[in-house]
Amino acid sequence: MSPVLSAEGLTLGYGADPVVRDLDLGVAEGEFTVIVGPNGCGKSTLLKALGRVNKPMSGRVLLNGQDIRGLRAKAVARRMALLPQSPVAPEGITVRALAARGRFPHHTLVRQWSPRDETAISRALELTGLAGLADTQVGSLSGGQRQRAWVAMVLAQDTGVLLLDEPTTFLDIAHQYDLLELFADLHRQGRTIVAVLHDLAQAARFATRLVLMDGGRVVADGPPGQVVTAALVEEVFGLPCDVVPDPRTSTPLVIPHERS
Amino acid sequence: MTRSTTRTRRPRPPRGAAPPVLALGPVALPVHPRSVLCAVLLLVLVAAAAAATLAMGRLGIPLTRLPAVVTGAGEATEAFVLGRLRGPRLAVAVGTGAALGLAGALFQSVTRNPLGSPDVIGLGAGAGAGAAFAALVLPGVVPVPMGALAGAALAMAVVAAATGTGLRHPGRLIVAGIGVAAMAQAFTHFVVSVMARDQAGVLSAYVNGSLGARAWEHAWTIWAVLLLALPFVAALAGPVTVNEMGDELADALGARASATRTGAVVLSVVLSAAAVSVAGPIAFVSLTAPQIARRLSGAPGPNLALSALVGALLLVAADLAVQQSPVGDGLPVGIFTMGFGGVYLGYLLVREWRKGVL
Amino acid sequence: MKTLTAPSRPGPARAVLMLGAGAAALAGAVLLSLVIGSKPTSPTEVWQVLTGGADPFTTTVVESRYPRTLLGIVAGAALALAGTLMQGITRNPLADPGLLGVNAGAAAAVVTATALLGPTSVAGTVWWALPGALAAGLAAYTVGSRGGDGGLVRLVLAGAVVSAVLNAYVQAVALSMPETFDSYRYWVVGSLGGRGYDVVLSVLPVIGVGVLLAFLVAGGLNALALGEEAAIATGANTVWIRSAGLVAGAVLAAGATAAAGPIAFVGLAVPHVVRALVGVDFRVQVPFALLVGPTLLLAADVVGRTIVRPTELMVGVVTAFVGAPVLLYAVRKMRSAS
Repeated sequence: MSPVLSAEGLTLGYGADPVVRDLDLGVAEGEFTVIVGPNGCGKSTLLKALGRVNKPMSGRVLLNGQDIRGLRAKAVARRMALLPQSPVAPEGITVRALAARGRFPHHTLVRQWSPRDETAISRALELTGLAGLADTQVGSLSGGQRQRAWVAMVLAQDTGVLLLDEPTTFLDIAHQYDLLELFADLHRQGRTIVAVLHDLAQAARFATRLVLMDGGRVVADGPPGQVVTAALVEEVFGLPCDVVPDPRTSTPLVIPHERS
Repeated sequence: MTRSTTRTRRPRPPRGAAPPVLALGPVALPVHPRSVLCAVLLLVLVAAAAAATLAMGRLGIPLTRLPAVVTGAGEATEAFVLGRLRGPRLAVAVGTGAALGLAGALFQSVTRNPLGSPDVIGLGAGAGAGAAFAALVLPGVVPVPMGALAGAALAMAVVAAATGTGLRHPGRLIVAGIGVAAMAQAFTHFVVSVMARDQAGVLSAYVNGSLGARAWEHAWTIWAVLLLALPFVAALAGPVTVNEMGDELADALGARASATRTGAVVLSVVLSAAAVSVAGPIAFVSLTAPQIARRLSGAPGPNLALSALVGALLLVAADLAVQQSPVGDGLPVGIFTMGFGGVYLGYLLVREWRKGVL
Repeated sequence: MKTLTAPSRPGPARAVLMLGAGAAALAGAVLLSLVIGSKPTSPTEVWQVLTGGADPFTTTVVESRYPRTLLGIVAGAALALAGTLMQGITRNPLADPGLLGVNAGAAAAVVTATALLGPTSVAGTVWWALPGALAAGLAAYTVGSRGGDGGLVRLVLAGAVVSAVLNAYVQAVALSMPETFDSYRYWVVGSLGGRGYDVVLSVLPVIGVGVLLAFLVAGGLNALALGEEAAIATGANTVWIRSAGLVAGAVLAAGATAAAGPIAFVGLAVPHVVRALVGVDFRVQVPFALLVGPTLLLAADVVGRTIVRPTELMVGVVTAFVGAPVLLYAVRKMRSAS
């Protein structure tokens, strides 16, 4: 099967020392791909390039076989959504109005509303469990709810592909898992998800495919069980460790060695 | 206006009702009810202030006579008051106020800076210096308003060149604006200090922004620019709204953040420059109008239409005060907008600090 | 936007060396200010006057330049120090003494005085400008720092409000009264000329208090540079540091503005020069600013006196046209700020 989203020979960054160098990656439809790697390895840069936010120095990104630079920005946004790390909530906006902003790529100059907007927004609010908070101001929500409101916004965009840039940062552990379970549900419903995550255990637990990056290159790519090995973690993160199976899901867990 | 009724399974209807929609043929626009109400109210107030401007004081046209005079059935004196004295001035005030309000709303939205306006990046100061140059160096050769327009254009060109990235980075724009404004202001102060007193007084009044002795050609100028800007404003309204959520998200939604920002800043500068060319640099309208509009409507987003209406109301009301209050006699309207704007800004700040917002 | 980093220690030897160089530069600027004027004199003649061996005419000529030079030293030092304090406290490299509405306050007092009492000499306006500037600065400070979290935004907004309202008043009064307009338009350009010893003497006590406060808070500013929380964690009394520093800044700026009128960019630019030369330790920055400020202001004044002979350009115009291009150049060097 040809990939729904792919990078070909992608070099990203500025000047003589690019952040990502000549990278190839194909994401098949229906995968839950998680990109992991040490700080500064280029994972967020890669995600933004996939989402048409960063312009590559060279190489291209293909969405359903078409170069996204050759497509109209709105046309890409109707098929692929990106949730950045720190979006700005406009002052005084309600949850519902925020979700409605996700409908922007479906609008034209004269047609700024359609019945499908209504359906998509309601569905997004239901999926994120925010239907009851639709009229609440985003500013007054708790951290976990606020992040759900942003997820509702990208869901309202109604795309097959979701790109998520460290969506669980700044949340407590319960809300982190809460959100990850939501992404797993969305994945089961058929969405293609590419996420950047920090936590290896969480990545391994929810991803169908792990991409491990280091120094702007992909160093391992495959099912979590194959990627998260003691040898690779030590090589990439410089952390001597054991890798044991998670007692509940059997996915790999990293247990660092104590320093002696 | 339809809502989907075909769905059979709906566990719980969401509380947040969809906004009403204005639908007409292929056009479908969501409407914010409170904004519409505010717009109607503001239109009534602008009309009332306009009627008062025409009716009040010596030479005022009584309200009962106004319809007749407007339709051309008035006496010669009345026709003169409307056609020469107050009519053009009023038309300039409404158009300039609307342009300034719109310019401020666009600028504040894309720079995400509630204190932003083209004045902050030196446009007004540049216009003042241009006027001073025309008055001192080329008296009688270049009309002062043309000098102001050239000064504003030059200031913006210097700012754009100084940033090295055009009008794209708000932070750089504002720093460059501080520098350009300081130079322009020093030049204006210098010119005012070396001129003969009477000329210096005239120039000083102009530099504060004045609506005195305007003719219909001024009105045509500002309204023509407003009309030409309208399609661009309409095209930018959506992307500007999305832009508030950050560049990355705007890009991901297909709103092209950088292009939107450049477009909005350019449009904002053009509108302000048009306002400067007909009324001189009027302070604080483009800064306060969007703030008032946002608080009236309670809606997020740039509130473009409301900002234009608030701007028009502010300027017409300030000019009414200038013409009819005993202290205002002969003073440039810019002094009033600066004073009122300052007081209002202070009130807002104190109120919001009480609430602990800022 | 650039933020200050933690103080490093450039070493006392380097600091002493730089202070010596600064003092030498200031001496040079003072000499230039005494040598150059409408009646040409030579450095030798000035030296003879200073040592008491010149003819009476030359002595009169050179001595007539004393007050102007003295004012340049005092105002330059005050503005530079005010800028250093403001930038240190707000941790914003663009902070400037004018931020607090000091200029507008002084202007409002000047036009009020002239409107009520008729035209007076510059010496006469000082006694009005000084309390006016102080009152405006303290009003902006009081409103802007309520709550004590020291947010720069509040301070800037409060200063903007105070300035706007006062400027509206100033313009309204000035444009309605021709004689008031005259004294305002000469004052607002900012100049060192036409002032006697009395002007310098009347602002000197106030500026002295400001300088003293600045030396007292210099160590505290080093702590504040690490950020509010880190400063508290190191045991610094941030409320005292900030209040004393801002009051000192307002007092210094008020003194300078009352005596010389609003002078742009000295307060903004000197702290940058100081940081580049002696590093980020405020205990070195404060004395160094006292040397660099007067040097630059006197140099600007000398330029103003020579560039358009036989008339002269006011120092406020010169600083704006020298300072602004430097700022514009700095903008280009800014890393993508948003």
